[in-house]
Amino acid sequence: MKFVLGRLLSIAAALGLCFAIDVFAHSQNDYTQRLVALAGLYVTLSVSLNLINGITGQFSIGHAAFYQVGAYCGGFLSVRFYDGSPVHGLLWLLVMMAAGAAAAAGAGLVVGLPSLRLRGDYLAIVTMGFGEIIRIIVQNVDAFGGPYGMNVQPKFLHIWLIWLLAVSCIAVCRNLVSSAHGLQFLAVREDEIAAGAMGVNVTRVKVTAFMLGSAFAGAAGALLAHFEGFITPATFAMDVSFIILTMVVLGGSGSITGSVISAAFLSYLPEYLRGLKGPEGGTLAVTGASVAAALFATIIAAGIIRRLLDQARGTPRSRALGVAGIVGATLIGKIVIQWGLLFIPYLRELKIEAGQLRMVIFAVTLIIVMLLRPQGMLAHHELSWAFIGKILGIKAPAKAVTPA
Amino acid sequence: MKQFRISLAAQAAIAAMALGLFGITGCTGGGDSGATGTKTDAKTGEGGKIKRPPTTAPGNSAKGDTIPIGLVTSLSGDNKPWGDDCKKGAEIAVDDFNAAGGVNGKKIDLKVSDSGSKPEVGKSAAEKLISDGVLGLVGEVASGITMQMGQAAFEKGIPVVAVGATRTDLADIGNNMFRVCYTDDFQGPVMANFAYTELGLRNIAIITDKKLPYSTGLSDSFHATFTKLGGKIIDEQFYETGNKDFKGQLTNVKAKNPDGLFMSGYFTEVGPLGKQAREQGINAKLLGGDGWDSQTIITSGKPGIIGGYFCNHYNDTDTRPQVQDFLKKWAKKFGGKPGTTMGALGYDGAMITFDALKRAKSLDSKSLIEALENTEKFPGVSGDITLKGMNGNPEKRALVVEVTEKGFVFRKAYEGNQVKK
Amino acid sequence: MPLSLQLLAGVDFHTLPQQVVNGIMLGAIYALIALGYTMVYGVLKLINFAHGEVYMLGAYVALFASWRLGFTPEATRGTNLQSSAFNLVILLLASMAICALIGVIIERFAYRPMRQHARIASLITAIGVSMFLQFGGALVLPISPEPNVSGEINPYKGTYQASLTPSPTALVRQRDAAKQPYEAAQKTFDEYIAATHEDRFNLSPKGIEARDLAQQAERTYKDLESKVESAGVSVIVPKGQLVMLVTAVFLMLLLRHLVMRTRAGRAMRAVSHDFDSAALMGVNVNRIVVLTFVLGSSMAGAGAMMTATFLGTPLTTFYGMEAGVKAFTAAVLGGIGNIPGAVLGGLLMGVVEEMVVWAGYSSYRDAIAFVVLILVLLFRPGGLLGSATMEKI
Repeated sequence: MKFVLGRLLSIAAALGLCFAIDVFAHSQNDYTQRLVALAGLYVTLSVSLNLINGITGQFSIGHAAFYQVGAYCGGFLSVRFYDGSPVHGLLWLLVMMAAGAAAAAGAGLVVGLPSLRLRGDYLAIVTMGFGEIIRIIVQNVDAFGGPYGMNVQPKFLHIWLIWLLAVSCIAVCRNLVSSAHGLQFLAVREDEIAAGAMGVNVTRVKVTAFMLGSAFAGAAGALLAHFEGFITPATFAMDVSFIILTMVVLGGSGSITGSVISAAFLSYLPEYLRGLKGPEGGTLAVTGASVAAALFATIIAAGIIRRLLDQARGTPRSRALGVAGIVGATLIGKIVIQWGLLFIPYLRELKIEAGQLRMVIFAVTLIIVMLLRPQGMLAHHELSWAFIGKILGIKAPAKAVTPA
Repeated sequence: MKQFRISLAAQAAIAAMALGLFGITGCTGGGDSGATGTKTDAKTGEGGKIKRPPTTAPGNSAKGDTIPIGLVTSLSGDNKPWGDDCKKGAEIAVDDFNAAGGVNGKKIDLKVSDSGSKPEVGKSAAEKLISDGVLGLVGEVASGITMQMGQAAFEKGIPVVAVGATRTDLADIGNNMFRVCYTDDFQGPVMANFAYTELGLRNIAIITDKKLPYSTGLSDSFHATFTKLGGKIIDEQFYETGNKDFKGQLTNVKAKNPDGLFMSGYFTEVGPLGKQAREQGINAKLLGGDGWDSQTIITSGKPGIIGGYFCNHYNDTDTRPQVQDFLKKWAKKFGGKPGTTMGALGYDGAMITFDALKRAKSLDSKSLIEALENTEKFPGVSGDITLKGMNGNPEKRALVVEVTEKGFVFRKAYEGNQVKK
Repeated sequence: MPLSLQLLAGVDFHTLPQQVVNGIMLGAIYALIALGYTMVYGVLKLINFAHGEVYMLGAYVALFASWRLGFTPEATRGTNLQSSAFNLVILLLASMAICALIGVIIERFAYRPMRQHARIASLITAIGVSMFLQFGGALVLPISPEPNVSGEINPYKGTYQASLTPSPTALVRQRDAAKQPYEAAQKTFDEYIAATHEDRFNLSPKGIEARDLAQQAERTYKDLESKVESAGVSVIVPKGQLVMLVTAVFLMLLLRHLVMRTRAGRAMRAVSHDFDSAALMGVNVNRIVVLTFVLGSSMAGAGAMMTATFLGTPLTTFYGMEAGVKAFTAAVLGGIGNIPGAVLGGLLMGVVEEMVVWAGYSSYRDAIAFVVLILVLLFRPGGLLGSATMEKI
């Protein structure tokens, strides 16, 4: 009874959270609403990819394909059948989400099956190739609008539903990891052969992971199609897959909370950089030499810090001092390099506006985070009360272990 | 503690139930906002005749002592060369207009936002600018991104003046949509007429960039008109932006022996296509659309591309004062000539918006839409532009120019109403 | 009609030999780039996503070198500059050298610090480097108007044409007979224009009459000409692209010699076989990794120089994306980590792509590589020449 009550409470809390996000978003302008909605979709995508990559250890780099399958399935059904259907409004959207999820899960099955025989990188290219195949097929089918894209009617702007999907995805993954089924997934990640020897049905685990992860991506795709009202093959290009993968690794492979945080962070970062302003409020423009110097100095410093951390000599305090020293040296180094680069007339004359640096800063952030913390922000940990306590040096009270 | 082993299926069921429950009872968040009345099949081109849905949202109004106008363009990604040119053109327009006194002394404040060459990012950029209070939006250079921008702007009652989006069904989004370029529906027939009558071609092969909506649309409209005139399309080949080697497609084309080859893509691929076509021994006349407009097509397509014809907005040897003035200002501010046609179109897109602001009853989006709708014979760099009664698609002329070693040479002008479709 | 016949309804067996030749030339470049992927993978077990960008930079180096040699857009406009094979060699060496340097820098600052960590972290770093070069390069490299390496720098103009089955002489005679009236009609029209000073594209009704006559004669002649051409089977190879093919083959043989016959090559193979044991056996692993990047990146540089010069594509910073993905696929197809495999994979992909175009499905050309890949991996999970061992990431 206590368990059921707890579950009901947590479901209620999750729903409350979704509506709180919705109410918050609607109190803001439309731009913020859009960012909140897109962040929700990216959270779903990265957590569902984490299920495949981080938790089951299958190397998939084509997640946008499932997103696209879901989006086009939901969108196409809406365009064709909405007018004559007996279901309307929100219920229709839920049916579309289910349809998108089912279609994507089917696609996941198709990709998952050959993956049984493939090792890491081979699987990676198969998933990437699958993404390209889907994109090119959609591009060539006139019923989907081909390269023109597809207008999706009706539109739904439910931010709470987007976040409810994200929360459900998180809940399913979290509960999976702590269940006996989930341990099988982890076992496959750690050692396939040993897992098989212990009686884990490796085939089933892999295919389940693929189908479950794809299904969530598909549902997210269906939501995107109805939220945007317009989808084109360009929305699901290869780099979208890379960005989702980056979110997973940056947060820490296998860490669900890590995926959530880095998905929110990485989907917001380029938009934040859009608003960069100069000192007088005008557009910020810097010389090419300055930009180049800053970028190189930062990357080199990050590399040195990484080496320093790896060598792990000295006390934490001396290492901290070393890091601080390198950061200082970076600043000086930047000035020195910039001085050198100013001798190149081209770089001296070149004026770069901050708005154009958006994607460059994004890329450099990726490199630096990876250099400084290759295991991802949270590594394999979860951001739980116990983990925060551990970081802060507070010992969590030992849990009473009760036999089942 | 047996309950802890609750199965995965049961958990999924709980999640689904929660979703379903709220699906039925909790219809609070937004509902159906099916206001944008566009149809996927509208691309075949009734754009000029459909009565466009009017936008009902209030829009923004100018509050401070400057007038904020937004420009969405591709400052990063695949379309950067076009996007940069568009931005530069718009900047010249701002300088010009502000130097001439602005609107009753109020200066234009051009806010630029990057679309990253991606539709959904372009929509975010538009939303951001709208929430920053811009009266109107200028851009984008690509049709797919403009589509997304246009829908966002329609819901907020903000006018959009598209720069390089030639896709036909854009105008159907609503009465807030305008553009300064002609549509695919116009330049396809122009080239079909030119090929059939002036060049006397009867058998044409089409090569299309399947990744670009622009190229696909242009090929379709060319195909339709050319067959209606009595010509034959004897082969259709496809490639994708980024391909470099076209020998396979050209070998197929050569086997069919066309007298003409219509290449509807951008100059980045058309240049090499022209060069490789000659190397494969194809001597057909080459034809294309405004995507060809860049001096690069000559350097990269030599010698095959020389003698090809394409449809353009303006020509830099044009003696009209607007053209020469614009080129002079460009050379002064940025050096050289605009790399693509988007420089001139960016200028026109911005300038036509500013011009409308001058005529607007008050400084808000609604009046701006009205003023844009009433634009007549606006003397742009790319020709006289009339928007009145045209449902957002401008009436302007198209020039057919020939590619020569020394540059583009004007051959024939087609007025907006004299083309057989 | 049975389905198989329907699918092949659009094919023309006359063009098959030409398409196979096209495929080999396309595949040779894929193979050259694939070598870089496969060598780095063999040694570091890292998919070097930035390889496509090294290729892009190689094309830019060729561009700058050609400008330096005087083949700027201004200089080539309207005039015909003379070039020699020497210029091509300079371009090739410059691209190879600078690409090797760039490869080493990327390895030193982005990959080496990551070497002891999870491979997926190196992979994300590689994606980061690739995005950095694409977007950062767009800020400093010339992209608008998109520049291209001038075709004038290629001294090997013209084409080789081999006729496999000649056209029937009767047809040829018929065509030659039609040539005279065609030229006469053209001349009449030209004389008319010269006499009346009319604008060719805005003629008077009388001018239109003259033009239509000329066009009629031209069509008759062209029809015959096309009949002649489609009756015979021939293979056309542009001289420049033949140079490209020969150079690619030469570089691949050179690489094979370096890897199979020299001390460093043996060390490289040892490192590729087992990184840690090789280190224990006294191989200077760092030096071998650097050597791998030098060789792989210079192959990409050579490929870039040749596509940029002989195919004429204008450059952007996304120039390497398509080539990178295709070459990576080729490397996996042949068995990643396996040098002959990369060459085989590249050639196979080139030929298969052209076969798809030949069959009339050019809009699916970019997808077919992956379809073939998936099919091959279903039956040979390690690629064509690779070994299939299970391995976790």
